Amino acid sequence: MADLAYYVIQMALFILIAPLVGGIIKKIKAFTQKRKGAPVYQVYLDIIKLFTKDTVVSNQASWVFTATPYIVFASAAAACAFVPVLPGIAMKPLPGDIFMVIYILLLGKFFMAISGLDTGSTFGGMGSSREMMISAIFEPSLIVAVITLGFSAKSTSLGDIMLHSARLGPAIVQPSYMLLLVSLVLILIAESSRIPLDDPSTHLELTMVHEAMILEYSGRYLALMELASLIKQLIFITIIANVFIPAGILVYAGSGFAVLMVSLLAYVAKVAAISVAVACIEASTVKLRFFSIPNLAALSFIASFVGFLQYFTGGGN
Amino acid sequence: MEIMQLLSVLILLSCFVLVANKRTKSYIRTFQAQSALLAIAAFILGMENLSGHGAIEIMFVCLLIVTLKVYYIPKLLSHTFANVDYKVEKNFFYNIPLLVLVSCAIAVFNYFSISSAIGGKPTELGMYLANSVSVIFIGFFFMISRKKAIGQIVGLLVMENGIFVAALFASGGMPVLVDVGIFIDLITAVIIMGIMVFKINEELETTDINKLKRLRG
Amino acid sequence: MISYLLLLPLVSIVAFWLAKRASQIFALGIAAALIMLSAGVKLSIDVAALGHVNKRYLMNFYVDSLSIIVLDLVLAVSLFVIIYCAGYFKKELERGKTDIKRLRLFYSLLFAFMFSMILLLTTPNMGIMWIAIEATTLASVFLVGFENNKRSLEASWKYIIICSVGIAIALLGIILLHISSIGIIKDAGTDLSWTYLYEHAKELDVNLLRLAFIFMLVGFGTKAGLAPMHTWLPDAHSQAPSPVSAMLSGVLLNNAMYGIMRGLAILNKAMGSGSFAGAALMALGLLSILTAAVFILTQRDYKRLLAYSSIEHMGIIALGLGVFTPASVLASLMHMINHSFTKSMLFLSAGNIYQRYGSKDIYKVKGLYKSMPITGVVFMLGIFAITGMPPFSIFSSELGMVVALFKNGSYFAGAAFLFLLALVFVGFAVTLFKIFYGNAKGEQQKSLKPSPYADIVLVAMLGVITVTGVFMPDGVLKLLTDAQRIVTGG
Repeated sequence: MADLAYYVIQMALFILIAPLVGGIIKKIKAFTQKRKGAPVYQVYLDIIKLFTKDTVVSNQASWVFTATPYIVFASAAAACAFVPVLPGIAMKPLPGDIFMVIYILLLGKFFMAISGLDTGSTFGGMGSSREMMISAIFEPSLIVAVITLGFSAKSTSLGDIMLHSARLGPAIVQPSYMLLLVSLVLILIAESSRIPLDDPSTHLELTMVHEAMILEYSGRYLALMELASLIKQLIFITIIANVFIPAGILVYAGSGFAVLMVSLLAYVAKVAAISVAVACIEASTVKLRFFSIPNLAALSFIASFVGFLQYFTGGGN
Repeated sequence: MEIMQLLSVLILLSCFVLVANKRTKSYIRTFQAQSALLAIAAFILGMENLSGHGAIEIMFVCLLIVTLKVYYIPKLLSHTFANVDYKVEKNFFYNIPLLVLVSCAIAVFNYFSISSAIGGKPTELGMYLANSVSVIFIGFFFMISRKKAIGQIVGLLVMENGIFVAALFASGGMPVLVDVGIFIDLITAVIIMGIMVFKINEELETTDINKLKRLRG
Repeated sequence: MISYLLLLPLVSIVAFWLAKRASQIFALGIAAALIMLSAGVKLSIDVAALGHVNKRYLMNFYVDSLSIIVLDLVLAVSLFVIIYCAGYFKKELERGKTDIKRLRLFYSLLFAFMFSMILLLTTPNMGIMWIAIEATTLASVFLVGFENNKRSLEASWKYIIICSVGIAIALLGIILLHISSIGIIKDAGTDLSWTYLYEHAKELDVNLLRLAFIFMLVGFGTKAGLAPMHTWLPDAHSQAPSPVSAMLSGVLLNNAMYGIMRGLAILNKAMGSGSFAGAALMALGLLSILTAAVFILTQRDYKRLLAYSSIEHMGIIALGLGVFTPASVLASLMHMINHSFTKSMLFLSAGNIYQRYGSKDIYKVKGLYKSMPITGVVFMLGIFAITGMPPFSIFSSELGMVVALFKNGSYFAGAAFLFLLALVFVGFAVTLFKIFYGNAKGEQQKSLKPSPYADIVLVAMLGVITVTGVFMPDGVLKLLTDAQRIVTGG
């Protein structure tokens, strides 16, 4: 019973914090453009507003179109159950590891892609094919990075991985972990559709990837899709925060309420710091030409591959 | 020391970033970043040496690295290439992801051959050596994969950086006189290559090295 | 003695920029070269008597029989080349193809080049040796590109890039040598010192030493023109002005070989039988001779042909070093001397031909005997000499090499060597004999005849290679034997 409560609270936490991350990124980007920008909680208000609006569905669409937003949201919410915020607390871990997370998210992505094709508009199809290509070329680096983390922690459960790196020190300086960090940051940018891979605020037909797939959605469907992509972004940020900056996650159940609150605050601070970093990366580069994206993917792949190599030839830690 | 291992790996990573780039300004910036990492490593070693033996030699080398490689040579290169060339390289022999994967293969090959040449067991010295020799070979590979003159000059500079990395990490530096001499040689070489690039641009209207094809056989 | 050798080039460079007329520059150059040669001879006598000479001015300087041989070659060939330059540039100034400012630049760069080579040969510190080798590349880049046309620009770009890359790899080798010696160095004086490393060679880390030697071989081999790193050599040596080509072929390649020899000496002393190093050197040597033979067969440019011949002879020296018996190493050292004189003589006569005919193409040069008899005879005899005819010196060193090869049991290498030498002779004969016959175009003007300085030099060098072919003075033989003992470790 306590376990169920724990997982429910964790999922609720994710869903609540995710739009905050989006808001922070938008605010930092506004600062770099010398604007004041919308307040940080604006994203919440936007999503609530969308829930109250009507939906417009094309008469060419099939059941896929109307089912997809629920499927995508459900997959994102389910995935975030496996990503522990405070890994020490879970008493009985859910049977599922990081590969489960990756492939549940991939389920959502698949449905998003075919729904883009469903309405018969050209933008949707174009967005779907581009999204699939980006996903395909970033997948090897993600898998290699995850495998290395798994070898290092001797288990692929995310909780074990995070606890292992917490034992290594408050901030990771191992060479192989540093390379994996670089690789995972690039993957984060790819999965959350940020510049330099994809501009999240554009609707120019030749440049949008993620936006193209959700172009036809409106009302509560759009709200669910937006929320789902924000949750996905937060999942990856949490993985990076807890695995590579493990300060403050070594709390166990029964450590007292105050300690728990402090770790939670530490987690929120880490997430905020990483979102600021992502926003700065976004503000300082340009969107790449689509055929230059394999260059970034290759860089990410060899960063994780050399990290894997470094782990083995460095004697293994 | 862990931070030295980290710096050694970051320098290798900057080599990969170099190969993945297309803009000439980015070549120079990446070289600058790599030299900055090298300067940090020299600084840390120098501090250690200073407090341990009271020898200021490595700090002096660190200072040299900062003034020459981080500041002066990139300035010289940007000035030379500001008016000479296109800003983005368009033609490559093979596309960039393939080049990046080849440089990864170079790093892998080096890891295995150097550890087996040294003795078989993975040691810290072996890792430092493998990283530095990878930087040297990736710099060389970068040189041969670019068609414009700036690619060759930056490749040579990255090779020299790799040699410094080898000297610094694996053996705590060379005698100061040798280091100073190497720097002087490097600066002179870069100046001479800059002059030659101007001359080539004057005679041939381009700095595309592939067009230098008159001497065959 | 050593101080003269080091200071005189620097003083001369300053003097060149103060001189007002061309004739002053010529005279200064010849005087400086003469003084340096006499200092070198005196030094050789000292070394032959004492075994080695040590001096200290700010840094340690050390000359033993191996360095003194190469040093004497540098000084002797430089003297011949500088005398030739007087005549060559007098003609160039008369024809208006150059002016006194460029002449000053040429002489300054030439003497800077000589200074770096002398530094290379007199320092025991491997790091300073590396700096000096890089300095020779940098000093000679503008000499190679002196004529400022598209082809020489291409040649000098290739030269600086490929040689810098090669030398960088050699530096990696030297650093690995340094790392392998970390356990045994005591203070700053012995760090990277060749004499110290040679003495304590058995205490070095063998694995790192092996790696170090491979990198040094590839790096210095690039500068020496061993295949497959030779690609800069035909361009650089053919596009440079002829005195520079003579210096590059006759002197610089030897210095690079010297670097390899120093490394080889340490490796052999540390590892006992230098089996893998020997195999590598033999392979590179044979590959160089093969590459040179193949390209010589199809050349149109006579200077490029001579450049490929340099590659061939460097391959022969490497082959001798690879076999590693005392007889073959002695033959290699002798071959170094013989090749220097013969090749410089050939390049200087080629300079005369180029000045007269204005073209490097074999098909455009006809009737050499009729238009320039002395140059013609010297060039023809030089071609015979370089391909190994008796009584010239190259014959004796090649014979020594073949005998050493067969005595050592490397029958395949010996047979391949003989076959490739024959191929090279065929290549020379087929291409070069065209230029001697036929009718010369252009009148027999006085201005087109080569200057008397040039003729004197050519005949003198021809005399040297004839004499050394039949007779080797005892002192020189003793130096050679000592040097061979240094390389093979006693």
